[in-house]
Amino acid sequence: MKNSLRWGPFLTVLDREISRFIKVIVQTVITPLVNSVLYLLIFGVSLGSHIKIHDGISYLSFLIPGLIMMGCLNNAFQNASSSIITAKFGGDLEDFRVAPLTRSQIVWAMSLGGLIRGLTVGVMTYLAGLLFVFIAEGQILGIAHPFILILFLSIGGLTFAKLGISVAFWSKSFDQLSAVTGFILTPLIYLGGVFFTLESLHPWWQQLAKLNPLLYFINGVRYGLIGVSDVSWPMACGISLFTLVVFHLLALRSLRTGSFLRW
Amino acid sequence: MQSAFQPVAALRVNDLKKDYGKNQAVKGVTFSVKPGEVFGLLGPNGAGKTSIISIIVTLEPATSGCVEIFGVDVAQQSRLAKTKVGWVPQEIINHGYFTVEEILKFISGFHGRRKNKDRIDYLLHRLSLWNHRNKKVKELSGGMKRRLMIGKALVHEPKLLLLDEPTAGVDLELRLSLWKFVEDLKKEGVSILLTTHYLEEAENICDRVAVLHHGELKKIGPTQELVQSLTSRMIRLHFKREIRPLKHPYLTLQNQMMAEFSLPSATGIGELLNDLQLDLRMLNDIQIIEGNLEDAFRFILEQQK
Repeated sequence: MKNSLRWGPFLTVLDREISRFIKVIVQTVITPLVNSVLYLLIFGVSLGSHIKIHDGISYLSFLIPGLIMMGCLNNAFQNASSSIITAKFGGDLEDFRVAPLTRSQIVWAMSLGGLIRGLTVGVMTYLAGLLFVFIAEGQILGIAHPFILILFLSIGGLTFAKLGISVAFWSKSFDQLSAVTGFILTPLIYLGGVFFTLESLHPWWQQLAKLNPLLYFINGVRYGLIGVSDVSWPMACGISLFTLVVFHLLALRSLRTGSFLRW
Repeated sequence: MQSAFQPVAALRVNDLKKDYGKNQAVKGVTFSVKPGEVFGLLGPNGAGKTSIISIIVTLEPATSGCVEIFGVDVAQQSRLAKTKVGWVPQEIINHGYFTVEEILKFISGFHGRRKNKDRIDYLLHRLSLWNHRNKKVKELSGGMKRRLMIGKALVHEPKLLLLDEPTAGVDLELRLSLWKFVEDLKKEGVSILLTTHYLEEAENICDRVAVLHHGELKKIGPTQELVQSLTSRMIRLHFKREIRPLKHPYLTLQNQMMAEFSLPSATGIGELLNDLQLDLRMLNDIQIIEGNLEDAFRFILEQQK
């Protein structure tokens, strides 16, 4: 196989994915940022002053890593899924099929595109949180473990982009896509510990929450940013990596068995 | 076994079958397209043309059979095969977010040619899209969209081009310019597989044609040979004055001043006049209406009823 086919098609799909979300940046980056700012304002500043979490950590600071991860996961998922769904609708997904692209190239390029959008929203959310903490508490929110923070954001973003690919390739209508988002994804994210600690839950509910892989993604980011977590970070890392591998295989399978044909 | 001196076929379709559930869309079709040839795949709607093209471009897998592009099996070595073929689908692709130039860049990159500005610029000029290169697809007219589809199919310089109804819903001027472009591509050595419902155009441009019906290949051959073997030429003799009733096996109509004959295309007029033993001074005019591909097509379909 020619060398140009090794990297050229992959880089082009990645280029296309990034260009696409930049073209609609208000919808893809600014709107999620506004959502995060509203969460910070309402839950972090207004209600947060009445909530006690860990010693020496304000609820606002506790909330920020959860919001960063929530923004990253949601946007990584949406980038991949909306790219595929609009391509199905317009018919240009057929271009992917008739070009000499491998399934692996498509999955990696689309998930990297999703990750880049997720990280962009995550970084913007962090900067907004930094500002809120500075105004509300007069201090700078530093990063406790930068490597761990980036590691968990990357694993989470890639995992959710791959989930977005799978759902979009298998979806036969907009309804199916929004059903997955509304009934599975959003509840898992909200129940994954964005807004609460594990110890604040009933013991029975704690055991159930531990089955949610998003708990480990979110707590990994929380450990990376503010140095506290409900679970040990190596275990969180192991479970997150396992989830990434499973979702990667799912995405590859969705390209083999899902549809490239236009709606 | 391929002879050492025989060039590899641009496209070889061998015993191709495609089932959609219980419906057999393609039933063991075999044909080949020679290098540099324009080959017409004709048939009524539902004949299996688009199914065959979908299998060639790997949009759909074949149920059985084999497709090779310049000797490369599309099922076994699909990536290599895909670099050799360009496809213009029936339906316009929308590409909501991107401009004409970006679309060509992306398609070129998908084929491993990320730095292909010269080719993209050439195609933009050649297809009269240069002034519209910064427009999105939705801002283009129907003709421009169709030209963009052709540009996309050619941006990686394929040796085989598949045109699936390229002139459907296109005005006369654009149709003529598209056929001129196809002729130029042929001169450049590009092999072309074409499906169209405009049989007059197919007759003019295709070196060979195949007629499909209900997923089966009914006829295949050089276009003119097929027309000659399956159609008749109509000869109308107009006389200066009333003549006696004529007797001839190919006579189809006669009135006082005119006689009409339907001759096999290979039969000459001289032969007819000789058979009739007419005084040529009685003739006022001779009208010859040659059989065409549409007649041949109709003849083939009627044979199937």
